[in-house]
This record gives sequence, C-alpha cells and structure tokens, in this order.
Amino acid sequence: MAELTLGVFPSLVGSMSLDFSFKLAEAALAKGHKVNMWLSGNAVMMAKKGQKAFKDYSHLEKRMKELMSKGMEITVCEACAEARGYHKEDVPEGMKRASMDWYLAKTVKTDRLLHIGGE
Amino acid sequence: MKLALFLSDLRRTEDTYDRLKADKLGVILVENGIYHAVMKEGGKESPVLSKAGATFYALSDDLETRGFTAANVNPKVKLVSYGDIVDLIMNEYEKTAWL
Repeated sequence: MAELTLGVFPSLVGSMSLDFSFKLAEAALAKGHKVNMWLSGNAVMMAKKGQKAFKDYSHLEKRMKELMSKGMEITVCEACAEARGYHKEDVPEGMKRASMDWYLAKTVKTDRLLHIGGE
Repeated sequence: MKLALFLSDLRRTEDTYDRLKADKLGVILVENGIYHAVMKEGGKESPVLSKAGATFYALSDDLETRGFTAANVNPKVKLVSYGDIVDLIMNEYEKTAWL
C-alpha cells in the first residue's frame, strides 16, 4: 500500500473542502493506505480542542479522532496556528505541530500528494 | 505526466483550466464542481466538458447531496465514490491539482 499526503488549507466553517478532505482520508485508510494530513492556513481551526458540536454546523473533531486512531497522522502548521491564537496547549491529543519544512519534506517523499486549496 | 485535476466549484476557472496540459488528464468534479456534470445553459453543456482528451468523473456523494441523480449526469461523466477517487489518485494518475 502507498502513502497519500493531503495538504489541507480550507477552514472548518464556510467551506466544504475540509469535510471532503476527511472523507477522502477515510476512504484511503479503508483501502489500507498510509495517510498524512497537513493542516495549514484556516484549516488550523481543527487545532483547537473542545469545539462544541451544533446541529447545523460543521464539526469534525470526532471524525478526526477516529481517523487518527486508525493511523492517520495529522500535523498542523505551527505558525498558522500561532497567528490565529491557537497555542500548543490547545492542540487535540495526538495531533502534531510543525513548521512548513515538515510539509515540504512530505511533498518530496510521499507517493501521492493532493494539495487542497483554501478560500 | 498523468494529472488528476479536481474542480471544486462552478466559478470561472477557464483560463487556468484551458492552459493545463497533460499526457493523460482526469478531471474530477467534486463539491460545487459537480454542477459542470449536470448543467445545461441555453441547452449547452458546461464548457469544462469540452476539454479535449480528458476523462471526466463526478463524486456521486456530492451529486446526491445537491439533489441530482445519475439520470441528470452528462454521459461524458463517470460517477465515482470516495474509494474510486483514492484508486484514481493511487493507480491512474501520478500528480494531482486542485482548482
């Protein structure tokens, strides 16, 4: 099985692409692939634990934790998070923080890369 | 190069889209991009589907979410699942792009 890296930039609120990213990741894991997700730009909204799930509002924390329990590696852009006031102590358990170097290295080493743009 | 291009919106992307060239091109319509698979403006299909040599796909989940069925889809377009998209990325195309 191969390694898929998703570079994800859209926000949780006001965009459908973050939801798409998680569903695609789930499908790739189900097929036995290794999946890495890089959250950058407004996608770092996922790097804040304890978000309340409203009935008609996007909420991906539960799905994110399920995918991480199945082996998906999620790394969040440290600078993007800090710029938005999300600090190390805000990060959900299991999620990593790194500089852009992490993503750049993955773009070279991974078998397949899908860079999903933001707004 | 074998390129899988994701179109996620109905916005005007013709300039970038028209310039894209690949030995093998797959255009995967997702999110609001699926409207290219079903729309008929003035009786004409979306110009996106006129890309020469391309193979067109549309994500069935996103189609159904917007109230369409396979009967609404242009015959040029193949319906695919998330799992099918994974297979396209891993087995059919070497590079991907997102518009």
